[in-house]
Amino acid sequence: MNFEEILNLFIQDTADTSVGLIRPELILCGTILSLLFVRLFSIDRWITPSWVALVGAFVAFGFAANDFMVLKEAGGDTVQEIFTGLLIFDRFTAFFRIFLLLFLVLVVTLTILSGLPDLEDGPDFYTLLFGSTIGMMVMASSNHLLILFLGVEMTSVPSYVMVGFLKGKRVSSEASFKYVVYGAGASGVMLYGISLLAGLLGTGNMSLIAERLQMISSSGEPIVSGTAISVMILMVMVGLAFKLSVFPFHFWCPDAFEGASAEVAGFLSVASKAGAFALLVRFALAFSAGDAGALQPTFLYIGLGVGVIAAITATYGNLAAYMQTNVKRLLAYSTIAHAGYMLMGVASVIVLMNAPGEDTAAATANATQALEGLLYYLAVYLFMNLGAFAVVAFIRNSIFSEEIEDYAGLISVTPILCVCMLICMFSLIGMPPFGGFVGKFMIFASLFEAGNIHWVMWLILVAGGLNTVFSLFYYLKVLKVMFLDPRPAGAPDVDVRWGSLPGFYTMLVTAPVVVLGVLVQGLSSTAQNVASVLFP
Amino acid sequence: MGLESYLLVGAVLFVSGVVCMATKRNGIGLLMGVELVLNGANVNFVAFSRFTSLGLDGQIVSLFVIVLAAAEAAVALSIALNFYNNHLTIDVDRGDELKG
Repeated sequence: MNFEEILNLFIQDTADTSVGLIRPELILCGTILSLLFVRLFSIDRWITPSWVALVGAFVAFGFAANDFMVLKEAGGDTVQEIFTGLLIFDRFTAFFRIFLLLFLVLVVTLTILSGLPDLEDGPDFYTLLFGSTIGMMVMASSNHLLILFLGVEMTSVPSYVMVGFLKGKRVSSEASFKYVVYGAGASGVMLYGISLLAGLLGTGNMSLIAERLQMISSSGEPIVSGTAISVMILMVMVGLAFKLSVFPFHFWCPDAFEGASAEVAGFLSVASKAGAFALLVRFALAFSAGDAGALQPTFLYIGLGVGVIAAITATYGNLAAYMQTNVKRLLAYSTIAHAGYMLMGVASVIVLMNAPGEDTAAATANATQALEGLLYYLAVYLFMNLGAFAVVAFIRNSIFSEEIEDYAGLISVTPILCVCMLICMFSLIGMPPFGGFVGKFMIFASLFEAGNIHWVMWLILVAGGLNTVFSLFYYLKVLKVMFLDPRPAGAPDVDVRWGSLPGFYTMLVTAPVVVLGVLVQGLSSTAQNVASVLFP
Repeated sequence: MGLESYLLVGAVLFVSGVVCMATKRNGIGLLMGVELVLNGANVNFVAFSRFTSLGLDGQIVSLFVIVLAAAEAAVALSIALNFYNNHLTIDVDRGDELKG
């Protein structure tokens, strides 16, 4: 095969299959360009940049939803490696694209309603927002260690800037400075881990990792020990743990959220976590797929370690949230705690897939269920967290404060926002009949299954249960201030009523929290369908 | 010169970078540490591409990393400048208004 033939094959592969499957990403790129052109040619006098952004996000969402429907109707386990195996396109990718683009549409709407970027800054802000979202979509479809790194960086670099978007504010510049310093360090360590891993395996392709590891571990004299391999995996996980704000890489999270505006904090808390979880699941399964042979105990212990870290993260987040006086900071610690709960789901997937014994069919079924729980939790988490941050943003626009004490007696001036906050927080606690309960229940059920394989998982389950009780108090503290305390005389009014657009938006975002708590079947069967594609 | 010597250079760069990040209090110093870590990884990639079956993949990755490091440094420096405008220092320990 000469060079020309290779080139032709490559062009054919790219043009015929690959490009068609990344339409949502291409549309986002196109939107970024048109945003910049809108300003270049001064069209923004007639068209507001935020509407260009909203239309772009909506069209991309439409294409992503269409892709998902086509895949679902086709049935079977369609898995396509695109761009010579750098990206992978399957139901999991399509699900996360829908998830992220739906979230993008909601965030753009929120910024339009709350007026975060003004006309001057609009194109800059939406360029960063869209760039970051493309990075998350790349993370969710990554099939190569290079793309793993690129996705994480594409997500991080714009989010550093978004955190510091309020340029003149002292706390905002401090928050983004801390974020960029920690973030750059974590991604450097991750890249070093990737370099060792890729060198050891002789490939960066994640679908070949399991096979190569099998070769290494089964050759009579293994060239590296299980410990060395776990150190490499842990180094890669440092970068992901940073994105997930998992203990002990969570320091940036409360600072960044307090310094950033509520809209940006809401975006980071949901979207970058969703992308990182998708990537973590893909990375973890790349190792666990097939029979790991002699390395199986190592992977089992990595799974247990992830579980223990998850339990510590949840406990730390919930305990630290008590002392907070700023709502955004409190929600940041609550985000950390929720990352812990979701990481427990990932831990049970790893443990279940590396169970000793022959019964792989049962292990796969259990792991599918654990992943289903994780996806369900993420979907509910999108709405409940965005709802809470939207309420914070709207209240900030009226009272110019994000301190809990300034929320006293808000029920008397804006019942709609208070009721939505109540629903979101009850769901964050995990109370029935809200969606948070169902997601948490599914994850805890998978922990129970994983406990049959190793008893440590049962301890993690107990820690998760205790944490749910801990978290009750600080959420209720905020709600008590909002609902029971009297409104001080002369306190500013909050002008958000039932019929107004912000009120309607908050109701729209909160409604799914209730719906997903009552009508479980629809999303849960979709999530199971999506999860099963990763376990052939 | 075998693979080990190159990996050793990479490891020295990585450790120097991590130590730099852990001890420097100056914002620019921290970013220099990050660059050392990224270049340590780059040396590894290129060495692996010469000596193992990683092949051209390693060189391509290192090219991507060089570009990314430049982009990240540009963003980080502009954020550092913004921090300086608000605080008149780039000492990271002076950023202590957010805590708890």
